[in-house]
Amino acid sequence: MLDAFAALMDWHNLVLLLVGTGLGIVIGAIPGLTASMLIALTLPLTFHMDPVNAVTLLIGEYVGGISGGLITAILLRMPGTPASIVTTFDGYPMAQSNRAERALALGIMASVVGGIISWGFLAGMSPALARFALKFGPWEYFTLVLMALVMLAVLAQGSLVKGLLAAALGMAFALPGIDSSIGQARLTFGSSAMLSGFGLLPVLIGAFAISQVLRDAAQPISNKKIEIPKRRLPVHLSDARTHGPNMVRSSLIGTWIGLLPGIGGNIAALVSYSTAKQLSKEPDRFGTGHEPGVVAGESANNAAIGGALIPLITMGIPGSVTEAILIGALTIHNLQPGPLLFQNAPEIAYGIIAAYLLANLFMLIMMWGAVRYIAQLVRLPRAGLLSVILVFCVVGSYAVNSSFVDVWVMIAFGVIGLGLEAARVPLGPFVIGFVLSPIAEEQLRASLMLSDGNALEIFQRPYALLFLALAVLTVAWPAILQRIARRRRVST
Amino acid sequence: MHRKHLKYWGDIALAVLVFGGAAVLLIGAAELPPPRFEPLGSAAVPRGLAAILIVLGLWVAVRAVLGMRADAPVASPEGTASHPLRSLGVLAALIAYVAALDLGQLPFLPMTALFLAASGTILSGGGWRPALVYGALGLALAGALSFIFSNFLYIEIG
Repeated sequence: MLDAFAALMDWHNLVLLLVGTGLGIVIGAIPGLTASMLIALTLPLTFHMDPVNAVTLLIGEYVGGISGGLITAILLRMPGTPASIVTTFDGYPMAQSNRAERALALGIMASVVGGIISWGFLAGMSPALARFALKFGPWEYFTLVLMALVMLAVLAQGSLVKGLLAAALGMAFALPGIDSSIGQARLTFGSSAMLSGFGLLPVLIGAFAISQVLRDAAQPISNKKIEIPKRRLPVHLSDARTHGPNMVRSSLIGTWIGLLPGIGGNIAALVSYSTAKQLSKEPDRFGTGHEPGVVAGESANNAAIGGALIPLITMGIPGSVTEAILIGALTIHNLQPGPLLFQNAPEIAYGIIAAYLLANLFMLIMMWGAVRYIAQLVRLPRAGLLSVILVFCVVGSYAVNSSFVDVWVMIAFGVIGLGLEAARVPLGPFVIGFVLSPIAEEQLRASLMLSDGNALEIFQRPYALLFLALAVLTVAWPAILQRIARRRRVST
Repeated sequence: MHRKHLKYWGDIALAVLVFGGAAVLLIGAAELPPPRFEPLGSAAVPRGLAAILIVLGLWVAVRAVLGMRADAPVASPEGTASHPLRSLGVLAALIAYVAALDLGQLPFLPMTALFLAASGTILSGGGWRPALVYGALGLALAGALSFIFSNFLYIEIG
């Protein structure tokens, strides 16, 4: 490990890590441009690089890309990455109440703490943790996804029924395309353009960014100015006491969920947010600009990167699209991720671990230093800012597949998002339902195949039962609380 | 229609659209073959989701009807658009911009400059000055994006 750190101190590696992290922050902050897209697009540039240099650059982009997402999530309610959706819940209301800098500072701190804690697991406990997560089968994954969806629906502001409706609608929009289980075209109605279904990125950009821009366009121009810090960031020593337990808990949740293939930083942030809300003495303040909401989401989504790297380097299992691209990057250099990586190419295995820690520190320095300038984004003329964002959205959606079909899909989902919000249907569960639907269906079908169609086998899987019980309890909890309150009123 | 019932009518419209979506799922699922290699098959999830959508849509509709019957007044929605025409204008400009790039195969640089000029003018309330300023901004932005995408990311826009 020390050798890996020593190798990273080479100026070439340091520059690449700095460039990768900086580029990641900028791309991550732009709605529609994600870390996975940046890494995929940078991949051809790494063909002629030394493997350690290539891995260093890509890890920097990954960390910067996820961290940068908090900037627009807080300032504009447009998550730069899916992992920052949860940050919009409280970050944006904070920005609207003249606390943008505080939200940014807490978000950056939480991101770094999440990154460092998950690095501890990555460096020290990865084999044991990976072995434990590997005990999970399809039933566990299916119930875990179900639990996450239900939690999000319950978390959404407003009616529980509309939260569930939003999740179901999102899941429905994920159905068209090729059914990956058997290769059958489904709900395409004869259209070849529908064979690949609706892309995540156009849906995400449309539902969050386009609908937000269109909604903002109708609002009268506010003269309210956001206070921007002149010299120091609004973070205090007392924050360690106030937010420390939340940061540690959320980082542990993020690391754990990041470890599970296919779940990712967005669910990690969501589960941490939900946990923070349920454990809070002031759960009603979540979603209204409550600091622990920002802390929980940002600690978890950054910690999920470290968690996701564990099965990647120890077993060669990708946790998400980004990890799958990273596996591709290693394969280009004739390196096979997995247990043998530590024996055959320890400089790469430990290089990834060391680069992950340094990238988090570089991210802290860059974002900490630039937060004043970042906060000034909100001072830009709204007409110009919204118009520029629209151009980025168009370019970002187009760049995914170099196809204008994705751009039209993005516009359509922008209009759908606007309509849903007008009908007070929350967008969060809609988008998460869209993301999770394929995973849930795949795992459910795999479970039933393995159990010969016997759904009762779930009762023989304690972790699956636990996740299912938590999902049911989450839905029933508001009704249970109401009943308890009514009984108390009657008895008094 | 009373203005105070607007929210309920909105919910009923939502329920109708949800029923429509559920119908599309059921029609699409009916065209799929029965399961052959595994117990669930391709049609099961669309059918299940359609059933869930119908139940939730009914719930929303029934609550809306009951609310209207109770004649419960509802406050106008928060954040009601003050200038809805601006939203429509920006949306129209966006559609025209994408149509020009996609269907018209027009070049990215001038189209982006025109889009920014149109969108910026609509959002700032009109006038020649914003049109010129945002047009110039659009040209610079398009030039920078085009350079970065074509030289570093190997993507030709438009």
